[in-house]
Amino acid sequence: MADFQTSTQRAKWIFTPQKLAERYKAANHRAVQMLEKCGTTQVEVNASGSLTYPRDKVDAGDQADKKLKPLSVDEERFMRAFYEAKVQEVCSAFEFPHKIQATALQYFKRFYLQWSVMQHHPKEIMLTCVYAACKIEENHVSAEEIGKGIKQDHHIILKYEMAVLQSLEFDLIVYAPYRAIEGFVSDMEEFLQVRGEEIQKLENLLKAATAEADKVMLTDAPLLFPPGQLALASLRIANGVLGVVDFDRYLENIVSQPNSEHTTSELTKLLGDIESLVKSYKYPSEKDMKHINRKLKSCLGHSSSHDDSKKREKRSKHKSHKSSNDTPNGAPIG
Amino acid sequence: MAAAAFGQLNLEEPTPVWGSRSVDCFEKLEQIGEGTYGQVYMAKEIKTGEIVALKKIRMDNEREGFPITAIREIKILKKLHHENVIQLREIVTSPGRDRDDQGRPDNNKYKGGIYMVFEYMDHDLTGLADRPGLRFTVPQIKCYMKQLLTGLHYCHVNQVLHRDIKGSNLLIDNEGNLKLADFGLARSYSNDHTGNLTNRVITLWYRPPELLLGATKYGPAIDMWSVGCIFAELLHAKPILPGKNEHEQLNKIFELCGSPDENIWPGVSKMPWYNNFKPARPLKRRVREFFRHFDRHALELLEKMLVLDPSQRISAKDALDAEYFWTDPLPCDPKSLPTYESSHEFQTKKKRQQQRQNEEAAKRQKLQHPQQQHSRLPPLQHSGQSHAAPHWPAGPNHPTNNAPPQVPAGPSHHFYGKPRGPPGPNRYPPSGNQSGGYNQSRGGYSSGSYPQQGRGAPYVAGPRGPSGGAYGVGPPNYTQGGQYGGSGGSGRGQNPMGSSRNQQYGWQQ
Repeated sequence: MADFQTSTQRAKWIFTPQKLAERYKAANHRAVQMLEKCGTTQVEVNASGSLTYPRDKVDAGDQADKKLKPLSVDEERFMRAFYEAKVQEVCSAFEFPHKIQATALQYFKRFYLQWSVMQHHPKEIMLTCVYAACKIEENHVSAEEIGKGIKQDHHIILKYEMAVLQSLEFDLIVYAPYRAIEGFVSDMEEFLQVRGEEIQKLENLLKAATAEADKVMLTDAPLLFPPGQLALASLRIANGVLGVVDFDRYLENIVSQPNSEHTTSELTKLLGDIESLVKSYKYPSEKDMKHINRKLKSCLGHSSSHDDSKKREKRSKHKSHKSSNDTPNGAPIG
Repeated sequence: MAAAAFGQLNLEEPTPVWGSRSVDCFEKLEQIGEGTYGQVYMAKEIKTGEIVALKKIRMDNEREGFPITAIREIKILKKLHHENVIQLREIVTSPGRDRDDQGRPDNNKYKGGIYMVFEYMDHDLTGLADRPGLRFTVPQIKCYMKQLLTGLHYCHVNQVLHRDIKGSNLLIDNEGNLKLADFGLARSYSNDHTGNLTNRVITLWYRPPELLLGATKYGPAIDMWSVGCIFAELLHAKPILPGKNEHEQLNKIFELCGSPDENIWPGVSKMPWYNNFKPARPLKRRVREFFRHFDRHALELLEKMLVLDPSQRISAKDALDAEYFWTDPLPCDPKSLPTYESSHEFQTKKKRQQQRQNEEAAKRQKLQHPQQQHSRLPPLQHSGQSHAAPHWPAGPNHPTNNAPPQVPAGPSHHFYGKPRGPPGPNRYPPSGNQSGGYNQSRGGYSSGSYPQQGRGAPYVAGPRGPSGGAYGVGPPNYTQGGQYGGSGGSGRGQNPMGSSRNQQYGWQQ
């Protein structure tokens, strides 16, 4: 049976916390080096879909007085957090199912394991990830429709698609916690022999857990834990509020299954880890974003793509494009 | 990502170790097929010398970027891991042109190539079956059918519909393994899916009645109809339902399987196109009559596959339990099967075209050939029964399990057993033939280097010789009848979507 156990997600895209931190550091380091050498971090996606890396600085004298400051790893994290929230906003605006939102978020997260936000602006990548997720999850939305819906030039989406797919190493199937939540809830129904009114309570639990899973998806947890554990953590958080089931007893029941990989205490610790990721999740303030955006702009500012993007703006039918280009706070959504 | 794939890497830092390699890691050897959306090449990985198949994904004319069909194929193949399903090894890219001919940057179209890299398989079932003089044995047919059903069962369990089961998509290696390939039309389905899938799938000759009647909700049964067609084709030695268009296809189906009504197929009269296509008068089911020369268990299984009502059609799982696979002669071990020189339908078709041209030239020169007739040969019967259909070339038809199968006797086939080309003025120089040329470099892939096991040799018309010559002069009798699309048109039974289907149908489900 082809499932999560045999998936590329399990084999390639779940990391230890140490390894994940290293990946972020390495991506940041590559961009910082690029900035030092070339005076810009922007990796240009060409019309053909291929990439052009910036050239070494030639007119160093001209720019020597301007000291460009790269984003720190933490600032990059803020930038990603900001746009990950945008992924959810865009997806809810289109009323996409949770599955698509989760897939788009996973793509976005995986993309930025390979690249720094200084190299590819997350706004474009965010849109491309949503578009790609729709395609992969068989939920037809044309690039143009997505572009129109959020008043963005859809050519950008198509332009970045190949770069995104390649950066994902074409590992397109993504397992999200939502189906697992449904599975656990119907399992609980059986295990607890609920009937009558209690069924309604379980349904409420399902709803609340789904909302919790949306929050879990915004943390690093999807790169650290398998979807089943994300689902259990979401359920436990939701149950903590609603108090529908005796969760510890339920966990023991899971662990007692013959194919269980964990002891109860192991599992409890893992769920606790996920929960604390949710608790420590930070969304950037407006002030943070203003500062980061200014820095990012200067990192990207000397890119040769500048002329190119201006040309595109002129061609673009959407008047709002220019104003929203570099100021994510003002990006009209929905 | 290889530097070559993404161009001008201007940093001295090491290239990141992720992303796709460049297609330059491979040396293309020859074209071996035309996939549903691009060419297929045999290629050698330069570093290892390993032979692979490269399938190019056509990217032009895509308004919606990377083709959805390619996405589905990649997605599905990365999910499926089974010995009877082709294995996708990796995806490689070739750099695109950045500018158009006038040097202007072209709009957002990815001009570079994307290739899927597959394990190389020597044959496809159609190419193999079309080899002149070749006849499958019953244990061999059972062995292929069993593998086909096992692979398909695995797909269906994993909720994947193949949607283009036909001989040329069933690849066979020289160890007798059969693998499902070309998932370009495949897609996942779920049982609770409310449907609205496109009915423009499956190559016409293998397309089930429900799709021809316009169904947009369907399931694994559609693939099982195709399996039935292939099963009968293997036993009958030629395609059983070669319709020229959808209307004729349905007529052929009704002539064979009877016309449907509410009794045998509840709900059929509500199918979208039922009224357009229902036959003027009721037709009787004649499967048993048509295929009375098949053995009892084969016929029994075929009857269950060629059931008009998809809900009553046998599943892959149940088919594997059929008596047919559990009675003598049993399916043989794939490894015991003979090895053949590489043959793909794409190549055999090309050869036949050449032959036709040569033959016409010969006619013009008033050089009279002896009338050559070659159709596929019916299977060797191992069970002692020998009711060959009257129109089949009479040959010795009572070999036993271990006896070498015989190349049929009779004047019309006499030279197929010879290793070299046919008599006549129009010989193809060995260098001009497709599959012969790479034998040396292919090492293990060349049929000559395989130890001949058991009944290997007699199957092959000239195992070491260039195969072009051995293909004979006479065109197969059904080749000229237009069923192959006349002069080598688009192939067997009109591919449902053709090359332009991505734009037209790509977003349909």
